[in-house]
Amino acid sequence: MKQAQKSMLKHLLLYGTGRGRLWAAIGALFVGNFLLLASVLIWWNFNELLYGKGEHGDAGSTYLVVGKQVTNTNVGLKGGTLFADADIAGLKQTPQVQEVGIITSNKFPVWAVLGGQVAMSTDLPLEGVPDKFLDQKPTDWDWKPGRRDVPIIMSTQFLGLYNYVFAPSQGLPQLSESSVKMIALRIKIGPEGRAETYSAHVVGFSDRINSVIAPQSFIDYGNERFAGQTAGAQPSQLILKVKDPSDRHFTDYLKEKGYSTNNENLRWSRIREIVEVVTTATGVLAVLLMGIGALVFILFIELTIARAHGSLLLLKEIGYGPGSLSGFMLGRFVPLIAGVVLASSGAITVLQYVAMRRAAESGLWLHTLPGLPVWVAMSASTAVLLLLVVRSVRAAIGK
Amino acid sequence: MTKRGADASRFCFVDMVRFLRCYSYICFSMQLSVSGLMPVPLRERVEGRTSGLWLRDLVLQGDEYVFVKAPSGTGKTTLIHMLYGIRGDYEGAMQWDGQVMRSMNAGALAALRAGKLSVIFQDMRLFPELTAWENLEIKRQLTDTVDEATVKGWMQRLGIGNKSASRAATLSYGEQQRVAIIRALLQPFEWLLMDEPFSHLDNENKAKAAQLVLEVVKQRNAGLLLADLDDNNYFPYTQTIDL
Repeated sequence: MKQAQKSMLKHLLLYGTGRGRLWAAIGALFVGNFLLLASVLIWWNFNELLYGKGEHGDAGSTYLVVGKQVTNTNVGLKGGTLFADADIAGLKQTPQVQEVGIITSNKFPVWAVLGGQVAMSTDLPLEGVPDKFLDQKPTDWDWKPGRRDVPIIMSTQFLGLYNYVFAPSQGLPQLSESSVKMIALRIKIGPEGRAETYSAHVVGFSDRINSVIAPQSFIDYGNERFAGQTAGAQPSQLILKVKDPSDRHFTDYLKEKGYSTNNENLRWSRIREIVEVVTTATGVLAVLLMGIGALVFILFIELTIARAHGSLLLLKEIGYGPGSLSGFMLGRFVPLIAGVVLASSGAITVLQYVAMRRAAESGLWLHTLPGLPVWVAMSASTAVLLLLVVRSVRAAIGK
Repeated sequence: MTKRGADASRFCFVDMVRFLRCYSYICFSMQLSVSGLMPVPLRERVEGRTSGLWLRDLVLQGDEYVFVKAPSGTGKTTLIHMLYGIRGDYEGAMQWDGQVMRSMNAGALAALRAGKLSVIFQDMRLFPELTAWENLEIKRQLTDTVDEATVKGWMQRLGIGNKSASRAATLSYGEQQRVAIIRALLQPFEWLLMDEPFSHLDNENKAKAAQLVLEVVKQRNAGLLLADLDDNNYFPYTQTIDL
């Protein structure tokens, strides 16, 4: 179709509806499209925050330390309270369990001596967990045989117990986390005669694991050297990364297997339920608004065609085919749809970037750009809209 | 037969088909056949009188010049609209080259109107918001059969050369009719249908317009069918039908 011909057709077919209505239709479509994409974006961001596979995606996960319940029947059995490979495999297959870590306890004696003004000494239980299960990995956490200094992570509950229960009752000074980190410890490991002495210091605190943690390599070294136990021996405790510890199937599974846990934390589960309700409600609202936006746009198209009815009829009478007229009309409306989709995609990208920056200020990690579900939603909504518009135009012009 | 031989024979066959098609266009324009045709809204009037077309079987060859003489109210405009595919409220059958008019879809109808059948409406049917020139251009650019210079020449011949930039709504009926006449000639056609095409023109302009139409019809080797109230000698008719 030549430019002059297009210009005349434009004059005949498109000038009847007015710019105000055009902008209103574009605005409605943009708002609907943007809200639809925004709701998918919100859902996707929460999903990434709560269940993401990456190192940042554990905000919604709960860490549980599980062991086998000590009962009269298994207490006397050798390995009765240890986890076999089949037990670990079973846990890994449980839908709620995202990851399973082995907690290795010391099989050798550990004697800790606290020097300085507060002099005390005690037997000390030490445990090792894979680094990825730590709340945060301190910078000097790595330990290799030969290194004389052993970093230790202590449960915050232990510090609380000392500060609020033990220190006042003994007339001892209370300690802050930073002052604890400055305390020099000496630990002696192994039986008398073969014992080795190390200096140790607390490098961090854990809310997650209620124990005293040493580097896995240190525990493995001691177990092998003093107890002859190689890495990979059956553990008595496991640490689980769990999506929802309150999930009925999961708690039933633990009960059925006779596993005990130290954590009945439902907090994240509740938050997750609220988030799901909010995102679902937002999604339903967004789909409705998108529907209304699409309806307004399609009605605008039908109004345009209805206003140009006389010209369309005459054009058909002088030999213009309905196919070429539909093509001309779609050539006018499809770029508008493309423009709206591009604008809403741009707005969503900006929104995600702003959300990422704001979340980073709160210590949460979000992607810089919207993810695949957002683009899939955009493609699907655009395809449906185009289909509706093409059908509408063809039906109106073909009459 | 070798592959090349097969290709060559296919080529010859395709060429022959093309040649025959072109030849048939040149020598045998579209044939119109009607059978038992009767417009439903005019049933009472048609059934109460004798007609040379309504309720009869009739075949018109593509090279005929047909005059349909139709007193007021006998269905002259209805006939033209039926032949052009605008109205479908009739009984009986009508075919253009064996193609049943009523069964044609919108696409086929558009192709027929753009390439084989042209019309001059009694009520002109111009786009009032376009200029005289744009009314012609929107038709001319559809098939690009006639060049711009020729169109300008025809406008001069019919005395509307100075009306190019005037909006159709502001033209007199006579001027609008001349624009409508020229518009009908700006496409390839095998039949030209005319419904009182010169009703708003004086005798001098009627003669000029009829001369132009005849020239173009001859160039196209087309047939023409003119429906009017009274006898006339605008064209050398080969057949007159009393409606």
